[in-house]
Amino acid sequence: MGKNILYIEDNPDNMLLVKRVLESRGYHLLEAENGTRGLAMAEAQDVDLVLLDINLPDIDGYEVARRLRKSTKVELAYVPIIAITANALKGDAEKALDAGCDVYMSKPINIRELWARVEGFVVSSH
Amino acid sequence: MPSNFMADEATGSAATSYLTELECSGCGAKFAADQIHTYCPDCQSPLLARYDLKAVQAHVDRATIRQRLHGMWRWHELLPVRDPQNFVYLGEGDTALLPVPHIGAKLGLSNLYVKDESTNPTGSFKARGLAAAVSKAKELGIDKVIIPTAGNAGGAMAAYAARANIRAAIYMPKDTPRANIDESRMAGADVILVDGIISDAAGMAGIKAREEGWFDLSTFKEPYRVEGKKIMGYELAEAFDWSLPDVIVYPTGGGTGLVGMWKAFAEMEALGWLKDTRRPRMVVVQAEGCAPVVKAFESGAQFCDFWTNAHTLASGLRVPKSFADALILADLRESQGTAVAVSDEAILAAGRDLSAHEGIFPAPEGAATLAGLEKLVEQKWVRPDERIVLFNTGSGLKYLDALA
Repeated sequence: MGKNILYIEDNPDNMLLVKRVLESRGYHLLEAENGTRGLAMAEAQDVDLVLLDINLPDIDGYEVARRLRKSTKVELAYVPIIAITANALKGDAEKALDAGCDVYMSKPINIRELWARVEGFVVSSH
Repeated sequence: MPSNFMADEATGSAATSYLTELECSGCGAKFAADQIHTYCPDCQSPLLARYDLKAVQAHVDRATIRQRLHGMWRWHELLPVRDPQNFVYLGEGDTALLPVPHIGAKLGLSNLYVKDESTNPTGSFKARGLAAAVSKAKELGIDKVIIPTAGNAGGAMAAYAARANIRAAIYMPKDTPRANIDESRMAGADVILVDGIISDAAGMAGIKAREEGWFDLSTFKEPYRVEGKKIMGYELAEAFDWSLPDVIVYPTGGGTGLVGMWKAFAEMEALGWLKDTRRPRMVVVQAEGCAPVVKAFESGAQFCDFWTNAHTLASGLRVPKSFADALILADLRESQGTAVAVSDEAILAAGRDLSAHEGIFPAPEGAATLAGLEKLVEQKWVRPDERIVLFNTGSGLKYLDALA
């Protein structure tokens, strides 16, 4: 069974692209279309890594990261979080890292870099 | 377009450009060259232009190119524009390669040169890339272009877009050198000043591009700026009688010139134009306040981490992460080169040295290359007799407010 990667992203095109490339590497993608749903899935399921879009329709990615880190589910204090933004605006990187994310990436996401970053945290089953 | 860029094409079978296709630098996917492309839709890596080099070899030789009117477009077979009417020409290219004997003697180096890009239109090397990109945009029927910039790329895009009668929008940090802001506005561009740095400008330009259909000329997010920049590599080879320097010291923000020159060296080797195919060791110079390539190079990483809180007076080096970071790092390693970070104080001191001892008033980014070389001399990374080229990427006159 592949490692579980939770991708919290409201853009279906991005979701599809990342799903395709990560599943081709043997990862299993859990899909959440907003922050609230992403938090619920992180609490309920085993998650090995979180890909977190910052521009979400309900609560922003910074707040999602903060809530993950403060969760009573101990694993979420340590789960690797890769923040992804569509429009890198002033201070986004700093805010993402301050909120508890481990890595900051801005779109367009180089897929080979995404593989390398994910692989750096959780080895695929391939 | 001056006719004598093309004056020798008498056979009728010669093409203006031998562009064949675009190739993804990440996954190798191929794309048609005469359609509008940005970056690879599959893996989101930069696209690189490929040429029919065998046909170039058959139709043109180095001596012919040398006889043409000076400027970047005399290399048109190896540039992406098919119709000469679409060359947007302001006099770019064929900048001076200056020996710098006084500074060389001070450092104990007997073959030190500066490739002085400050004489390009708009006073910087950015003219080369934007000449190529705007010309190709014109050929592809694009009528409005947008760019995030640390300064000089914006000024260059504004000028070439004005010449091509294409609308221009430019997002630049509010603390961009005044000359860049004024030259862009004078050329009729919409200039939006951003509270932040180039990565913040890129975010805002990206939103406008998507919402309003502007074509984004951001570094490596379209395939043609690098083609203009690569001509610096051809000019160096020609100046050194078709051999290459031992070391090239290059100030690296987005890295277009470094990647472009490395591409040019490979093309020249394939063309059989080099008498000596030994490649230079490439040196990336960045500022201590923003050195993502140096950090990645030293740690053995394939990609750069986004550099937070980037700061340096060399605004062109204030690039927290290049879109082409993987290419820069791969080329750097293939060349057996290195990467060094220098302080703003060292940049200012090097700028004074180049001005006072050699009469070259460099952009801070250009001065950074001398500061970087001084470190390499200390480390004995260069030998005294090696042929070393520093790149002065622009004129210090455009940075008077920063240097005052």
